[in-house]
Amino acid sequence: MDSFDLIVLGGGPAGYLAAERAAQGGMKVAVFEKRALGGVCLNEGCIPSKALLNSAKVYEYAAHGEKYGVMATGVAIDHAAVVARKNKVVKQLVAGVSMAMKKLNVTVIDKPAVIKGKNAAGFTVAADGTEYSAGKLLIATGSVPVLPPIPGLREGLESGFVLTNREILDLEVLPESLIVIGGGVIGLEMASYFNSVGSKVTVIEMLDKIAGPTDNEISDILLKNYKKKGVDFKLSCKVTAVGKDSVTYEEKGEVKTVNAEKVLVSIGRKPFTEGIGLESIGVYTERGAIVTDDHLRTNIAGVYAAGDVNGKSMLAHTAYRESEVAVNHMLGRRDIMRYNAIPSVIYTNPEVACVGETDESAKAKGIDVQTVSVSMRMSGRYLAEVEGGNGIAKLVVDKKYNRLIGAHLIGSYVSEMIYGAALMIETEMRIEDLKELVFPHPTVSEVIREALFEI
Amino acid sequence: MASGVLMPKAGITVEECMITHWDKKVGDLVKVGDILFSYETDKAAFECESTAEGELLEIFFEDGAEVPVLVNVCAIGKAGEDVSALRPDGTKIADVSSSTSAPQPEKVMADITIAAPIAVQQVNSELKISPRARNLAEKTYVDPRNAAPSGPYGRVIEQDIRTLSENGKGTGIGGKVRIEDLNAAAQPVAAKPAVPSPAVNEYTDIKFSKIRSAIAQAMSTSLSASAQLTHHHSFDATNILALRKGLKENAERLRLPNITLNDFILFAVSRTLLNHPDLNAHIVDGNVLRRFRDVHLGVAIDTPRGLMVPVIFYANRKSLSEIAVEAKELAKQAQAGTINPDLLQGGTFTVSNLGALGVEMFTPILNPPQTGILGVCNIVNRLKEAGGEYKPYPAMGLSITYHHRAVDGAPEARFAQELISNLENFSILLVK
Repeated sequence: MDSFDLIVLGGGPAGYLAAERAAQGGMKVAVFEKRALGGVCLNEGCIPSKALLNSAKVYEYAAHGEKYGVMATGVAIDHAAVVARKNKVVKQLVAGVSMAMKKLNVTVIDKPAVIKGKNAAGFTVAADGTEYSAGKLLIATGSVPVLPPIPGLREGLESGFVLTNREILDLEVLPESLIVIGGGVIGLEMASYFNSVGSKVTVIEMLDKIAGPTDNEISDILLKNYKKKGVDFKLSCKVTAVGKDSVTYEEKGEVKTVNAEKVLVSIGRKPFTEGIGLESIGVYTERGAIVTDDHLRTNIAGVYAAGDVNGKSMLAHTAYRESEVAVNHMLGRRDIMRYNAIPSVIYTNPEVACVGETDESAKAKGIDVQTVSVSMRMSGRYLAEVEGGNGIAKLVVDKKYNRLIGAHLIGSYVSEMIYGAALMIETEMRIEDLKELVFPHPTVSEVIREALFEI
Repeated sequence: MASGVLMPKAGITVEECMITHWDKKVGDLVKVGDILFSYETDKAAFECESTAEGELLEIFFEDGAEVPVLVNVCAIGKAGEDVSALRPDGTKIADVSSSTSAPQPEKVMADITIAAPIAVQQVNSELKISPRARNLAEKTYVDPRNAAPSGPYGRVIEQDIRTLSENGKGTGIGGKVRIEDLNAAAQPVAAKPAVPSPAVNEYTDIKFSKIRSAIAQAMSTSLSASAQLTHHHSFDATNILALRKGLKENAERLRLPNITLNDFILFAVSRTLLNHPDLNAHIVDGNVLRRFRDVHLGVAIDTPRGLMVPVIFYANRKSLSEIAVEAKELAKQAQAGTINPDLLQGGTFTVSNLGALGVEMFTPILNPPQTGILGVCNIVNRLKEAGGEYKPYPAMGLSITYHHRAVDGAPEARFAQELISNLENFSILLVK
């Protein structure tokens, strides 16, 4: 039986980075991944969707250049070429991860693994009839889309009428119309792409707002922008059935039906914890998620869980950090996981980027806050570059300690500048100290400085 | 006016001493001559007597602090007197125990910069940190700027890093204390997911004392940096045993000190070495042999604090009884820990005696930069053939380790031969 210092179940962001860090730390590591390395993020999530959305952005600029005095005619989107380029990008990144694994002598086994038990030598894992053992286990099996028990949904998935994030990225032909069930991050990004390239998009959302827990003011601005672009939003609506070419939903007690060529179901994701043998060693889960502490330890000594599988934040960058903390703990290095300054981004156009508490979440925690909001139009660069933009920057300040605890932005480049706000939250700098920071001029990031002076 | 008590200079070469224990505390009334605290160098331990009378007003360095010599350690005077002028750097050095415990939350409300003062203090100047502390900080991934410095002049020492990494409450980047940590300190610890704790190990860790560390360092350096080997010899101790018996019986009448077998050996070695200058030498810079005109004889002493090697300087010019008296005095001081550190270095050859403990032969480790060391073993009865007859005789073992870089085997053997001859014909040596 091959034995290792560490066996990692899952080769996504948490899994492959943990393998990398552990190998750098001198551990002998094996990673089990039944699909391609890189997980959802690289293969069917973050990265491929960014390739698509960038094509949409280029197309939009070309098609609507007249606002900026640029006239172009005959602008068209070649969806097949967009998908081919996306595939090239994904292939390159996956190859990069494989390369890193090889370089660090990490054993990659392309089969699903099941935990078999624990003995004196450590934990035993079986894959395809072969057994492996390791002193430590990291469970990084990620998450899968939630598929609600709506009549007709299963059949729709089988016939190809209903898609998840995995299949929609590989559509070869643009659908004329698309229904998106669930107006969260994935739903909005896909709605954004297909809307930009010409599909008629309808978003059906159960809540009275889009973008899940995003700050209300920000999600409102995003909603207005997409309504203007022609996306049809059905808020506070509940899907009751999926037909052969239609979706039935309930709006204020009234049953309605909307037709479309394709349906995307994106109502959320859940930790993937079934069928991997957690019960054989008694790993404790709550509502399907593995319970971990701030070193990513589970209830079983030597077993760690990082990434979506612990259900804490379900973001690739959270997974990265969690895997580092877990490996550091294995190597006896002091490290601790903090969740209060993890940024999140929606790559719509305009982009949305948030970190920390919103006005509402802070109040729910009993924190006395002051919220300031400034228009992006205070930035010279924003004004010069975005015609008719309505972006804002919103800061949430803990009044007791006079420190930043939340930042919420909608506008251009915000995905790239949010880490600065995260740094301010992470380091707990005082507002008066933050005012001494110098921001480059002219940049959109200057709105953060403007907002700081509003406090 | 209040007066300061200086960290004594415990020897010409001593620059820093570690306070091991305070006997007095702030508020105690002390008289001149009272023991204030114990301290140690890397060679010996001492007690510091008060040089002033009055109330102990302030202690500037806590237990475990390394303090440069001739720096004020505490202030003594009348209650209420201003001692600021006596403080080594004009301010009280952080006391380890109070600065590592989390500050009270009430204080936080008043001063929200509470998490930063340590860092702020060092923003303008480079962090003062000992190399050992820096090493440990790198190994344990803690930010040394977050340590509470307890070394002299606000220097971060290894202990501070250990305290930070083990007890540091900070959950922020690099162990930084966050507001959440301060709030958590005021509340009962929340239950964490039950993770079985590893079985308690059944052993005790004892940190090496300064002296133990110095010995450890010297021993491994000696073995790793030299080409040393040992020859075992023995000699007929009949003569010196008889001589010793005679001297002992007449000690009072002749006003002689108690002369031990080891003293005979020290005496013989001090004379014999003069003819073998390569063994009464140091290796300097790896390729220079420094021969000494006189013999400065190191005598290994087993003390409660560990091995010490005081030196009988100019042993070759001293009589047997002078050597006996001096060896005894040095041993007494070394065992009491009161020996002047300057007497613990400068030897040109060392004698280590384990005979009394029944050791039959051993391989003494060279005391660098010396080129030779003599191990004295116990006396066993052996048979000697004389005129076809076997007669028992008391044989005493000598184990001589030498540095093969400086001395070859044959010259060592010649030294041993002459030493043995001198010991077997001790009275002739005395007459010489």
